[in-house]
Amino acid sequence: MIGAGLAIAIGVILLVAGLGGGYLIGKGAGGSSNGPNTVTITETGSTLIYPYLLVLAPSFESVYSNVVLSPAGTGSGTGISSAESGTVDLGGTDAYLTPSVAAQHNLINFPVAISSQLAVYNIPGITQHLNLNATVLSMIYQGAITQWNDPLIQAANPGVSLPAHTITPIHRTDGSGDTFMWTSLCYMAWSGWKQSYGTSITWPVGPGAQGNPGMVQLLSTTPYGLAYIGISYLSEIEAASGLQWAALGDNNADYNGIVSASGAGQQNYILPTAQNISEDANLGLLNLQPPSVAVSLILGGVPGATNLVNGKGGTNATAAYPTPYPDTNLEYLLVSSAPASPSHQTWVLAFLEWALAYGGTYAPKVSFLPLTPAVIGYDMLALDQVAIGG
Amino acid sequence: MSYENQVAPLMPDPEPDSEPLPAEAAGNRPAAPAKSARLGIPRSWWAWIGSPVALLPFLVLALITGVLLNASALRNFGWSFWSFNYNFLPQTPDQSSWGIGVFVLGTALTAGLAIVFATLLSLALAISVVVYLPSGPSRVLNMLTNLLAGIPSVVYGIWGFVILAPYFGITVEPTLRAFLFWLPGFGGPASEIGSWGILLAVFLLTIMIIPLTTALMRSALQSVPRDLVDSAVALGATRWEVTRRVRFRVARRGLSSAILLGLGRALGESVAVAMVIGGVTSIPVSLYSASTSLPSFIFFQLDSAFTYPDLLVLLVEFALVLLIITMVVNIVAQRLTQTELATATTVGTLLSEEGELER
Repeated sequence: MIGAGLAIAIGVILLVAGLGGGYLIGKGAGGSSNGPNTVTITETGSTLIYPYLLVLAPSFESVYSNVVLSPAGTGSGTGISSAESGTVDLGGTDAYLTPSVAAQHNLINFPVAISSQLAVYNIPGITQHLNLNATVLSMIYQGAITQWNDPLIQAANPGVSLPAHTITPIHRTDGSGDTFMWTSLCYMAWSGWKQSYGTSITWPVGPGAQGNPGMVQLLSTTPYGLAYIGISYLSEIEAASGLQWAALGDNNADYNGIVSASGAGQQNYILPTAQNISEDANLGLLNLQPPSVAVSLILGGVPGATNLVNGKGGTNATAAYPTPYPDTNLEYLLVSSAPASPSHQTWVLAFLEWALAYGGTYAPKVSFLPLTPAVIGYDMLALDQVAIGG
Repeated sequence: MSYENQVAPLMPDPEPDSEPLPAEAAGNRPAAPAKSARLGIPRSWWAWIGSPVALLPFLVLALITGVLLNASALRNFGWSFWSFNYNFLPQTPDQSSWGIGVFVLGTALTAGLAIVFATLLSLALAISVVVYLPSGPSRVLNMLTNLLAGIPSVVYGIWGFVILAPYFGITVEPTLRAFLFWLPGFGGPASEIGSWGILLAVFLLTIMIIPLTTALMRSALQSVPRDLVDSAVALGATRWEVTRRVRFRVARRGLSSAILLGLGRALGESVAVAMVIGGVTSIPVSLYSASTSLPSFIFFQLDSAFTYPDLLVLLVEFALVLLIITMVVNIVAQRLTQTELATATTVGTLLSEEGELER
């Protein structure tokens, strides 16, 4: 008796709540529209891509007045899972989907920009760019190198008086694409790296910080600290006192930092200049067989692929000079090749084409680099794939 | 004669005859009053809508538990789940260790220390407001403490993140270490001293739970019957003797419940702790060490968990453990407040050293 009453009451409440919610949602969508036939392109994912899309949105919408680009910075994991489930048009991610996973979910990796990462340190008394190679960085984050005046670091920096002080390697607490890049670097550069690589791993040593702003802040209050920070935060790094970033070694050395006889020359140390970063993106693509944009540009290699260096990754050990900056990454939007609504998808494709053509001029505003011709070429091929799928 | 010592949780200043929370009341006796005998439909519209609404908390709780159980499928991570060894290897999840120990330890350390400090401070605050201060300053103090309760935890978090963290790392922690090195936990290695860690989290948590514990303790102390206090004064007891022997003893359950509810709040706090704890999954060596906690770890790893299904299951099981811990703490706290004091207490027994409060 009571049960029936309750059931009816709950039903009524749910019905009313549902109607109210639906009304509100409808009102919200209508409120932001410019006209009766407005199309909204939804994106969610990487917090690194998010500011870039925010910069693109007004310009894109001024050209396509009936389309609204609605990005959200939620994290790469959310971007991937939302794209896989089809709840958004575009999923932003710092890490590509492997070709098999992408095919399984009918998704295509679509690079929209090139980003990079800095190895930043806070050593009182040292203001110049130190030379650090990935093997040394890997050993520091594993706890195998603990002092700044370690012979391996000193050897790469002749003439610099390094302090006999303990290194504090700082890592990201939250899951992040930056951690993915950095652990890929550590993983590929040294066979002694016991941790895996991914957006979130268990760190053997050192304190954690939250987000790139947290990395800058914690490092600036941690003398003799070392941290990996996205290049978008270059101006914050320059503003903080006592911080400087390293020139990173290319992959012409084995995992002990020793240059092999068959290498293309001695190890070079490269600063993260625009030219060096772009060059890495080009070479990474050109040397990958079969050609694909699902490429890690870390040390010019793909994790898990055969490598001339140490058997873990890397495909372009014989890269021509000037050698590229080894800690570089493509930023991706995942787009469906089998969309539920082909007519809606035409607008998504229109945005991607527009971003390919004009996005480059906006990239520097968020410290990204414009796509290089090689990447754009692959993107064009990818667009064809989407069109066929649609 | 029997005195009720009932403190409604989360209600800073309950009136002596305040009604119990409506949801609880209706939940205890659903639709019993004003019910049509023939159809079983309540006569009053309010009861008609109210009774299912009163069931909502139960439904929500059941739903959450059900969803968590379903999502985790109670996957067995093996005995290592109960160990201190947490080592997540994203590319080879089968070889990972999933120990919850470090997270429970970090949660217990931060919440436990915070409740110790908050108890001392809140008790002092509550006593001075209830016993010593005149009503004007009392009201101002109450208002200020209640204002503190209204600050969102993320605001505390960003304050800790931006302003307190550098100050702790550069000034507070080295000073503490220099003077308190002989105290366990305060003399850790200098390399462990950094901006973020247990100490900062404890500091933030303490401030965050003080308004709650103070309000509850205040009303517990105020609920001591006036005539008991007056009689004690008449017998020649000083104000402090009245406080210690009469108020403390009569309000003992209310005070304990305040502490437990504060503890429950501290255990579950995620955002503010996440912003200052440092997120390190190794066993802390001192109070300056960066650490982690169950809620902050869940908060931080959620995005990664979308990429690594094993991690998602682990987080869900962590959430279940956290739910159980906070439930137990809260239930114990509620039981304490709801148990009536069947006291045949006289002022004489209270004031005597051997005075027994119960039975």
